[in-house]
Amino acid sequence: MGTFGILGAGIGAGLAAIGAGMGIGRLAASTVESIARQPEASGDIRGAMILTAAFIEGVALLGEVVCLLIVFLNPQGVA
Amino acid sequence: MLMIVRKSFILTLLCLVSGLFVFADDGNTTEEFDASETILHHVLDTHDWHITDIPAGKDEHGKTHYIPIALHLPWFFYSSRDGMQFVGSTEGLAEKGYMALHDHLYALKPGVTPPTDAHGHIDMDEKTLEAWEAENVDHHVSVYDLSITKASLHMIMVGIAMMLVFSAVARGYKRNQGKAPSGIQSFFEPIIIFIRDEVAKPYLHDKAARFLPYLLSLFFFIWFSNLFGLTPFNSNVMGNISVTAALAVLTFLLINFNGTKDYWIHIFNTPGVPWVLKFGIPLMPIVEIIGVFTKPFALMIRLFANISAGHFMVLSLVCMIFILGKNGAQPGGAFGIMPLSFAFTTAIFVLEMVVAIIQAYIFTLLTTVFVGMALESHDEHHH
Repeated sequence: MGTFGILGAGIGAGLAAIGAGMGIGRLAASTVESIARQPEASGDIRGAMILTAAFIEGVALLGEVVCLLIVFLNPQGVA
Repeated sequence: MLMIVRKSFILTLLCLVSGLFVFADDGNTTEEFDASETILHHVLDTHDWHITDIPAGKDEHGKTHYIPIALHLPWFFYSSRDGMQFVGSTEGLAEKGYMALHDHLYALKPGVTPPTDAHGHIDMDEKTLEAWEAENVDHHVSVYDLSITKASLHMIMVGIAMMLVFSAVARGYKRNQGKAPSGIQSFFEPIIIFIRDEVAKPYLHDKAARFLPYLLSLFFFIWFSNLFGLTPFNSNVMGNISVTAALAVLTFLLINFNGTKDYWIHIFNTPGVPWVLKFGIPLMPIVEIIGVFTKPFALMIRLFANISAGHFMVLSLVCMIFILGKNGAQPGGAFGIMPLSFAFTTAIFVLEMVVAIIQAYIFTLLTTVFVGMALESHDEHHH
């Protein structure tokens, strides 16, 4: 595996960040729009947003943990 | 009021600065600096609570000696050779024929003495050590380590802190019945009310009171542990995957033991799905059963990864001082990067204090949502 393993972990971490960024970005855009349209429902909208953000973030963090494991389980990564 | 704010601000700043000094003190000037080893050492769970090392003179090779300031925790384990064992020190382990290496316990063959020095360090390169292990470790004996490690000690400390804080809050409730809250109660009451009204009630409805004690304990335990992990000398309790796994298992049990008939029908006989997908090719039940396990699994990973990531970030930023200072050989580099590292670390610390409460909130909220989904009965609204 060696160097390519670490390279792959780096690329994977970046891809996970891109995915999470796009997801949270879209979520935030829709939330702001909905709050602007209906300010009186902002409490409910915010609750739904945090819940969904947690789901998106959970998947992204799963990717990051896998990348971290690649680096740490790689003999060259720890050395 | 302003005085209190100013005082607490200065106190917080002092805590952060002292935290930095503590991290910075761990540098070992005689050896080459290894950032990933240092970070892992700080993040992983150990059998001793290591605070710092004090340099104490040099030996004949010019190598600095260090006296560690550490609390060594006793070993408590079950071995298939000797049964339950309780051992106070590394020497005691050697007497009974065991050796601790990288925080794992190994049973040695009879008559073998471990190659450790007085401080429990082994002066061998990896290949020699492997050969030694293959020859002298008795692999037929299985050892189950049940010791109280640093993380479990810190969990107990968090538990004691919570008992003190919340018995004070409860006393406040008793004393101030029908009156405005006072003292520490006024800080915690809004948070308790928030969990009750914004987390428990919207999802659990009339059953909220039944689950509220557990939800509040869960929230405050995660929050307190996270904050405790940000103070100097302390480990990251919630950055230990075993701890978050245990919490996730509790959530899993809570969901499935409280599942109503409708919950199980939704899993095995999902309404509104063609029967081919349920009984012909059982695709829906498989997906639903996987879903039962992925919910707590995601909870476990989320909390672990968030808290670990914060600790990794702080430690990496502090390690920058040692990397650029070449571990004491190039003080200019260290002093040059220090303001930047300090500013970044302070910013991350503040962010982590926010993350501490957000993650506690999300864990509690998702547990509530999942339990609420399991409790729902669909008599009134079919879909």
